[in-house]
Amino acid sequence: MDDLLAVRNLDFYYGDNHALRDVTLPIRKNSITSLIGPSGCGKTTLLRCFNRMHDLYPNNRYGGEIVMDGRNILRDDEDLISLRNILGMVFQKPTPFPMSVFDNVAYGLRLKSVRNSSVLKEKVERALRQAAVWEEVKDRLNQNAAGLSGGQQQRLVIARTLAVEPRVILFDESTSALDPISTQKIEDLMVELKKDVTIVAVTHNMQQAARISDFTALMYVGALVEYDETATIFTKPRHKMTEEYVTGRFG
Amino acid sequence: MSGLGRRKIVNIVAMSLASACAAAGLFLLLVILYDVLVEGAGSLRLRLFTQDPAPPNIPGAGGLRGAFLGQGLLTLAASVVGVPVGVLGGTFLAEYGRHYKICRLISALSDMAVSIPSIVIGTFVYAVLVKPMGGFNGWAGAAALAVIILPVVLRTTEEMMTMVPWSLREAAFALGAPYCKVITSVVWRSAMSGIFTGVLLAVARVAGETAPLLFTSFNSNFFQLGLNRATPSLTVSIYQYAASPYETWVETAWAAAFVVTFLVLLLNVAGRIFIKIKKVG
Ligand SMILES: Nc1ncnc2c1ncn2[C@@H]1O[C@H](COP(=O)(O)OP(=O)(O)OP(=O)(O)O)[C@@H](O)[C@H]1O
Ligand SMILES: [Mg+2]
Repeated sequence: MDDLLAVRNLDFYYGDNHALRDVTLPIRKNSITSLIGPSGCGKTTLLRCFNRMHDLYPNNRYGGEIVMDGRNILRDDEDLISLRNILGMVFQKPTPFPMSVFDNVAYGLRLKSVRNSSVLKEKVERALRQAAVWEEVKDRLNQNAAGLSGGQQQRLVIARTLAVEPRVILFDESTSALDPISTQKIEDLMVELKKDVTIVAVTHNMQQAARISDFTALMYVGALVEYDETATIFTKPRHKMTEEYVTGRFG
Repeated sequence: MSGLGRRKIVNIVAMSLASACAAAGLFLLLVILYDVLVEGAGSLRLRLFTQDPAPPNIPGAGGLRGAFLGQGLLTLAASVVGVPVGVLGGTFLAEYGRHYKICRLISALSDMAVSIPSIVIGTFVYAVLVKPMGGFNGWAGAAALAVIILPVVLRTTEEMMTMVPWSLREAAFALGAPYCKVITSVVWRSAMSGIFTGVLLAVARVAGETAPLLFTSFNSNFFQLGLNRATPSLTVSIYQYAASPYETWVETAWAAAFVVTFLVLLLNVAGRIFIKIKKVG
């Protein structure tokens, strides 16, 4: 078992608000790790530490470390642009940019100065196929992405993230705004993607966590309660709180 | 029951008052437009666009070609300065400077600047540009118009960009985009139709201004390509011709008023149609 990321004694503060308390957990390579827990427990906050999204806002502070390839990515001199190329993120609501379907997927590639149009075309098609949305959009690549359905938009956003070939993708309740069929497609896609990338997914949907993830971490008021293989978490957890939470008696 | 009746009556009274006020405003606007249309269209001749001004009371002669050109040049020069500075300034306020108190102050001051009477801007520019430069000139006129355009474009840009949700910026940041790229490729694109409309309305507004030009570009009877000397403009010409006792000049003023009103109306309508198309498409 390889750890791609190691979260060690991580603290996080929104100004005076101590939102993460001494969180330690590994993220295994080529696996899906689910983050679960009641609303406000810090799942999003933890997820956004991985790609340093908190740096966009003033007064946010990290403590402890997240180690990747032997390096603490929370260091002040970390290059955030290349870090975010390695750790992609998919948000709760689809966020298509106000441009064509093609330009959306090509966005990250163009940022990396890929200009050659045949290379762009090939990579865009590959990403859209990988995100299981190619068949639905191949005839409307030049139309505005806002015209796609919510589920298609979310898969487009996943394709946009995949196009830059990240090593990790962070999903923040990425299926919670979607219908069951789109959700199913994205779940299948996540499992399929494990070959190439490592996935960390925040979810409120216990069945989803049980179905797709290899590891599950339960959080409660900013702290990690329990981390283990998903099967263990759902069948014989060590903590009573975990058992109550996954069976829906708590939270 | 009686409470409901009371609320119904209050509702009817409020609605009637509001409707009456709207009707009064609309009525005045229609009267003005009707007057300009009837008098102006009747006096409209091709020579308005092709001839130089003629002395009064020579029927069938005289036009305002210099004023048309001058108006165009003044508006163009003002826009070339005012629009980019306004857009970039507004961008700074909405993005890089959003956490600074000083930027909030600048926004508030710009809001005030939008409502400064334009004659005050004219006298201000007279003091800082016309006097030191030794006489009326078109550049001063353009500067006065630019001062009017700037806060309008600045605030519209800032507001339109602030309305773009942060989630969209975050999505671009999450792909490793630097801030300047996020602004140019995502935020501007989302806010584009709003910013463009603001620019159009600001330009339309200065195209119809007289007061700031009276003390700056003033007027001239000579046809000239350039802004180095006193520069004729339609609005100032209308002002002077309409106030004259000569019938031929008053007629010319009506015709010019018709053309200016029509152009400004066209710009406004174009702006609004543009928003509609953008919203639907
Ligand atoms: N920008 C912020 N500034 C200050 N406090 C914040 C901010 N964002 C979140 N918090 C606080 O941090 C804590 C954790 O929030 P977080 O969004 O990580 O919860 P979550 O587990 O993702 O919840 P949910 O399931 O509802 O999305 C909450 O108490 C929240 O109020
Ligand atoms: Mg959350």
